[in-house]
Amino acid sequence: MEMSEQFEKTARDIEERIRPQIDEAKKKVLDMNDSVVGYIKENPGKCLLGAIAAGYIIGRIARR
Amino acid sequence: MASSETAAPNGQRAESASGGAGELTVGQRFDRASDNAHEAWSRTRDTVNDIKERLDIDRRVARNPYGMMAAALGVGYVLGGGLFSPLTARLVGFGMRMGLRLAAIPFLENELRGLTESVINGGGESDSTEEAAGERKSHRARNNKGR
Repeated sequence: MEMSEQFEKTARDIEERIRPQIDEAKKKVLDMNDSVVGYIKENPGKCLLGAIAAGYIIGRIARR
Repeated sequence: MASSETAAPNGQRAESASGGAGELTVGQRFDRASDNAHEAWSRTRDTVNDIKERLDIDRRVARNPYGMMAAALGVGYVLGGGLFSPLTARLVGFGMRMGLRLAAIPFLENELRGLTESVINGGGESDSTEEAAGERKSHRARNNKGR
């Protein structure tokens, strides 16, 4: 019983220590996603042409 | 079509054509070319805007930005000749394998659930276990005949 309680406590400690970092990383990823989506919505033509060009280059490389 | 070239006052060569455009200096030609280029550019822009409006690209991108980017990437990939390449074959193979695995997981899950339920409900009472017992008996009988 003591072992399991100790495991539980250790797991809880680790979770408490890691949780803020995970939350922060999650917030950063969401912010980045928002900014990327905003940029794509503001410049759709540029982004589409860029994506086509990138795909073209990848296709050329893959064909070799 | 008689045409003659005369020297312009600023030293540039001017061309005169009978019954046509009159005299054109290099500067005038440059202006005309510039006008033509402007006209071509505005026409191209109009055409692009027209295509954009017809395909409703702005709204589509606003609705599904990542999907449109992926579609554009795919179009570029195909245009670049990557469709019939080893990379495509590998990607398709990986996708098929993943799809089959994902399809097989629910099937296996159902089978396992059925098995555990039959074990928990008590062996020997359910139809499936009776059938299994019958099969085992017939298998034993066949083995005994063989000996």
